[in-house]
Amino acid sequence: MRLLIVEDEPDLLSSLAQAFRDEGYAVDTAADGEEGFYKATSWDYDAVVLDIMLPRMDGWTVLQKLRATKKTPVLMLTARDQSRDRVRGLDSGADDYLVKPFDLGELLARVRALIRRSAGQVRNVIEMGDVIVDTAARTVSKKGELIQLTAREYALVEFLALHRGEVVSRTQLYEHLFDEDDSTFSNLLDVHVSNIRKKIGADFIVTRRGLGYCIEN
Amino acid sequence: MIPKSIRWRLQLWYGLILLLVLAGFGVAAYQLQSGRQWRRLDGELQRRVNVVVSGLRGPEARERMGGDRINLDRPARFPGDQDDYREPGRPIRPERPPADGAPRGPIRGGPSLRLGPQQLLLFDQDDTNGFYFVVWDREGVELARSTNAPARLVMPEVPPRVRGPRPNRTREKWREAFIMTPPGEIILVGRSIVQDRKELRRAALLLAGIGGVILVFGMAGGAWLTARAIRPIHDISNTAARISEGDLSQRISVRETESELGQLAGVLNSTFSRLESAFAQQKQFTSDAAHELRTPVSVILTQTQSALNRERSAPEYRQSLEACQRSAQRMRGLIESLLELARLEAGQEQMRRSPTDLSRIAADCVEQLRPLAAERGIQIETDLPPAPCSGDDGRLAQVVTNLLSNAVHHNVEGGIIRITSGSEAGFATVRVEDEGPGIAPEHLPHIFDRFYRADAARTTSKGRTGLGLAISKAIVDAHQGTIEVKSELGRGTKFTVRIPV
Repeated sequence: MRLLIVEDEPDLLSSLAQAFRDEGYAVDTAADGEEGFYKATSWDYDAVVLDIMLPRMDGWTVLQKLRATKKTPVLMLTARDQSRDRVRGLDSGADDYLVKPFDLGELLARVRALIRRSAGQVRNVIEMGDVIVDTAARTVSKKGELIQLTAREYALVEFLALHRGEVVSRTQLYEHLFDEDDSTFSNLLDVHVSNIRKKIGADFIVTRRGLGYCIEN
Repeated sequence: MIPKSIRWRLQLWYGLILLLVLAGFGVAAYQLQSGRQWRRLDGELQRRVNVVVSGLRGPEARERMGGDRINLDRPARFPGDQDDYREPGRPIRPERPPADGAPRGPIRGGPSLRLGPQQLLLFDQDDTNGFYFVVWDREGVELARSTNAPARLVMPEVPPRVRGPRPNRTREKWREAFIMTPPGEIILVGRSIVQDRKELRRAALLLAGIGGVILVFGMAGGAWLTARAIRPIHDISNTAARISEGDLSQRISVRETESELGQLAGVLNSTFSRLESAFAQQKQFTSDAAHELRTPVSVILTQTQSALNRERSAPEYRQSLEACQRSAQRMRGLIESLLELARLEAGQEQMRRSPTDLSRIAADCVEQLRPLAAERGIQIETDLPPAPCSGDDGRLAQVVTNLLSNAVHHNVEGGIIRITSGSEAGFATVRVEDEGPGIAPEHLPHIFDRFYRADAARTTSKGRTGLGLAISKAIVDAHQGTIEVKSELGRGTKFTVRIPV
């Protein structure tokens, strides 16, 4: 899952990016509204965490302009807690709203929920035959046994699971699993896929030659 | 409604006064009426006495009609004058006149009474309630009486030497006038006053009734008037109650601004307005302060929660701690600024006023800020002729430093800052000009407001609280000086501080 965090307070930005990376997200950051808007329109992020008080372009404007082209789920962060502001945020197309100072765990949970909802999932648990992906606990189990995956491997499985039945292209996977700071090599993706196949089963992920990967229903 | 309310007290007093006035008026009217009635009756009696006197014939007729004329116009007395009444020493001789009331002949050779038919008409011989007369001779012997004269009649005792009319008397249910003629006959004319008393009672009842009706209407009118007079007070107290419940936007509707209550409402409204704006300011301030504190608290929370989530390397912990420290320092700076501002605005901060020189203060500040300016490639040009004034060195330096550091932060990279001092008309001045992007006209009136930022975003990480200009203004105000700003978009901003000499 790839996130964009737009926040002008450097210390907050860095700690948020760190926290989301720890959770296996690929995280891009922007320190002002213009940069945030540029990045948000250039990539298909799975979610955007957007501060309201931003230099150059405030969060309201970023959201408004973004909504003209993209349906990316957006969570607004703000230091104002008047309900008027909350209503305005939700009305102008924000999917969720969190007031500073917030609890990190709550922010992570809300972002998870945003991504799950935008993928059309209602529950945290995705079942595919005897393989179960728990997006809240970030675990994969087969026949009741927990399977040890790295954060990156888990992210790959989760993304394919959320889009199960669809063919996901390599480009899509690169876009959603790696952030701008990752040095990306095309074979890295193959390495992850082959590792997952070893751990879960050779036929769990199907390769569609020339198209991409797929988890069949 | 408690009985102690002004309205009921007014009503009570009004009722009492109305009652007293009505009672007084009623009594006076009754007295007037009864007096007039008795006077009229007494006049009638007197007239009849005169008629009877004129009908007396006898040896002393000449004397009676002569120069010693009896004054018959003597004013009557009111009922109850019984001082002349006495029980006679001997019984009245019953000698009734003829039934037809015809003139009688002489009695026992003494004086005789002759009354013509016209005169007799004045006495209702058949009506016991009508006028009657009795005449006694000087011996106390009854000479004549009208048929309707009451049987039990006593001769009034008249002091022998006093001739002429005597005060009227009221006896049981009769009013009587009597007179002693110069020869000594006593003539008494009377009439029953049962009817008069009845009439007076009716008049009294009528007066009481009218009074009662007036009282009822008066009280009703009074109640209406007091309600009307009290209503604006009710409006005021209701509005005040709503305001004290927290709805500060309420105002008393002022209908008549000229009246006393209108003026009171006006004064209260302006007080409410001031209260409202003070509250709004306070609310804004609290909300702004909370807002400013939220970001550093968020940093500390996320940094610590993220750091504690799992094992980190020593440099990572170090980074987190540094971030926390920066946020904590920012909060400290913010809190100190807030407290300073609060003290300044409350007038607690005493300015040590001593002779000083703005140019020297400015020069010191420039030296301190040169390194910061140099980091951004900014040059500071100075033109600092002496500018003596009286003020607090440290505080004024704070103002100049703040203006300079603003000029550094808002200047373009490699720009120039000009700082000049001078003296003009009782003021020492210092000007700070930058070449920054300038401030839009719509922001200019607010830049001295606490936490006001022309740019919606924070530039917080540089330790700027958004209170610098507010504090500067508070310090300048405490010196009775002025601070003003001029700005042109794209050209730069100029602050001018004037401190009295």
